[in-house]
Amino acid sequence: MNTSFQQMLSSVPANIQQEVDLEIALSNRINDLMTERGLSKLEFANALGKRPSEVTKWLSGQHNFTIRTISLLSAFFGESLIHVE
Amino acid sequence: MSEAELILVNEAKNCTLYTIQFLSEDESEFEQFYNKFKDDVEFNPDLMRIVGFLGRIADFGALERYFRPEGKMSDNVVALPVVTSKLRLYCLRLSDKILILGNGGVKKTRSYEEDDELSGYVITLQNFDKLIKEGTESGTIIVTENKIVTDKTFDL
Repeated sequence: MNTSFQQMLSSVPANIQQEVDLEIALSNRINDLMTERGLSKLEFANALGKRPSEVTKWLSGQHNFTIRTISLLSAFFGESLIHVE
Repeated sequence: MSEAELILVNEAKNCTLYTIQFLSEDESEFEQFYNKFKDDVEFNPDLMRIVGFLGRIADFGALERYFRPEGKMSDNVVALPVVTSKLRLYCLRLSDKILILGNGGVKKTRSYEEDDELSGYVITLQNFDKLIKEGTESGTIIVTENKIVTDKTFDL
């Protein structure tokens, strides 16, 4: 390749990489909690009154979560999904 | 038909990224995608999100839930991003640990099949997918847990 992958990665602005990292971290956490609780995507969606396609977006690692959604999910799982210090 | 070869993009513990290089072209399929949008004011942020995401796939693997299923049920063609964006990067996801990056563009129609440029990128990956399957069956290509081992060129 003429442009190396590392060069491409270094062109990603810090704020966008931070956004990507947070979105992936949240999706992985939700996926882990669903697995721990033995919830399928459909069961999880039904329990929250959401469409399965919404859960697909949450688990994609690319969803721009709102505070409202994070709060909904934290309340559902009974634990905070994010910690602000 | 055009001759093409498989190019290594990035090697990491949890996922190896490859792309396709047509021998008649100066740039690989993924480089063409990158260069098309890197200076595009409208689509650069979405491109940067895709590149940043691909960087993290190296750590977490090319998990199925990170991709939008594209192509047909019988092939391994997927797209990024899953969330709302008109930009599409088409890929061939062989497993959590092997991802082949293709080309992509701006989706202006309801489905990629209605767009000659985008459907061309998907067809390239579908054909490549078929050749990998045939090659592994005949023994000319070896697909390990996280690598594709071949020195052959492909007629796409």
